[in-house]
Amino acid sequence: MLPESIELLALAAFALAIALVFMPDRSPRRRLALQGGAGLAGTAAVAAVPTFDLALLVLVLLAVFQAALEGRRPTAACLKAPGVAVALLALAAVFARVGGPELIHRFAAVGLGAGLAAALGLLPYLHVFDPEEPVTASPIGWLAFVGPVLAAVIVAGAQGLLPADAGAAFGAVLIGLGVVNMAWGSLAAWLTESNGAAWRYSFVADWGLALCGFGLTLADGRRAALLVLFTVVLGRLPLYLASRQAGKDRVVTERPVNLLVAAALAGSAPFAGFAARVLLLRGATQLFWPLALVLALVMLLWLPGSLRLGRSMGLPRGRQALGVALVLALNVAAGLYPLPLLAGARL
Amino acid sequence: MVEVAAAFVAWLGVSLVVLSDARRGLALGTLLAAAGLAGVALPEAGPAGGLALVAGGAVAAARRFTAGPGGWGILPPGSTPRLILCVAGGLLALWVGLAVMTGEGAALRFAVMSGVGLAGARALSSADTSVAQTAFAVLALAVAAGAALGADAGVWPFLAGAGAAVAVTWAPGRVQRAA
Repeated sequence: MLPESIELLALAAFALAIALVFMPDRSPRRRLALQGGAGLAGTAAVAAVPTFDLALLVLVLLAVFQAALEGRRPTAACLKAPGVAVALLALAAVFARVGGPELIHRFAAVGLGAGLAAALGLLPYLHVFDPEEPVTASPIGWLAFVGPVLAAVIVAGAQGLLPADAGAAFGAVLIGLGVVNMAWGSLAAWLTESNGAAWRYSFVADWGLALCGFGLTLADGRRAALLVLFTVVLGRLPLYLASRQAGKDRVVTERPVNLLVAAALAGSAPFAGFAARVLLLRGATQLFWPLALVLALVMLLWLPGSLRLGRSMGLPRGRQALGVALVLALNVAAGLYPLPLLAGARL
Repeated sequence: MVEVAAAFVAWLGVSLVVLSDARRGLALGTLLAAAGLAGVALPEAGPAGGLALVAGGAVAAARRFTAGPGGWGILPPGSTPRLILCVAGGLLALWVGLAVMTGEGAALRFAVMSGVGLAGARALSSADTSVAQTAFAVLALAVAAGAALGADAGVWPFLAGAGAAVAVTWAPGRVQRAA
């Protein structure tokens, strides 16, 4: 198993533990533990299997498992995007493995990038989203829980399958998808009507950063991607879970804690998102400086959406307030001293 | 020659899954697709791998035969675009697998590409649970057969593909909660 995958898996397990410990008393803790535990086991299986094909087959089982959970979308709607993802990734694997003109391998690179986006639920394959749906049955599960490990596995698989030239094309595809998702996600998180949908788009925007990091094919890019995924799993996901209760009660507050949450979500210093952005910009400057300029401009779009999401948190109380404080403290710690996190993934 | 026939059977089976809306047509399509994919993967997968694919497809087909809308439902009114998809998808896979790609295993490449492509398209276009599950089962079988293109696949991908196909068709459909 990849060190990166092991670390992301541990982060997902920690996020699940935070959700279970700090969720409000009236929440269905047992159901979340069972479904989250099963999802974690499936995610571990994706990372642990020795071949790319087996990882795809585990992905099929994960999709079917999620579609069988109690939710608001019909089974067929739940299976659409994972079906496209598995089909694209499987076709890409065929194209990568056979002999033929160089163009065949570039098609494989495009298929791997597109399949990754479809599996995660990013543009241009946004999953159908219902803000009222339980988190375990919603697309947020793919974006924030299964997705980070899945992305690490697919990117590593792509590096094993593709020759060097096609590997560069894969990186370019990831950067292109990343910039589009960053821009669209951050704008939509700011402008969309529903707060629930705004949270979903904010995940999409963060994933844009992570895809750019993976696509840079430099050490700084991989480091940035890992830190972004840390902020997704141990920052945005727990804060989203905390915000769901405020969303149900239609509470919007403008307290210092809301500003702190907004700062963490926007990736400002000293939170982990800031370190990720610095690494990403440094990597982009090394590779092609105009890209760093574009990324810096798009990063500014995080601010209005994050302020909105921070306000939608309401005022956390009781054990939920402790959970929010813990999440913010973890993000500050990772932002100030990310080396243990990076060393754990051997980056 | 056997491999060519098996590849054609696989394409025919997946096409039946695409063209059918009812349990008998879907079950027959699954069975044919599994048999065809097992036939083309046999040289690499070995008897155990081939048997696993056929068994997985047979169990999935049996389940589909007993659940879902009744009848054959093949080529219902309005299915012309799906027919065109099957023919055009098959021709495209044939051209790419035979003329563009090089090396041994053209039949396997054709069967896997047409199986994955058509099953994926069916999963994307269907609003019915039994159809989507059947398409997903065939997709799992085609992904497993595609493992035969890799070096030293072993028997595990075929067993996993068969298991996934069975699990997909036996999984309960999602219960929709009212708002």
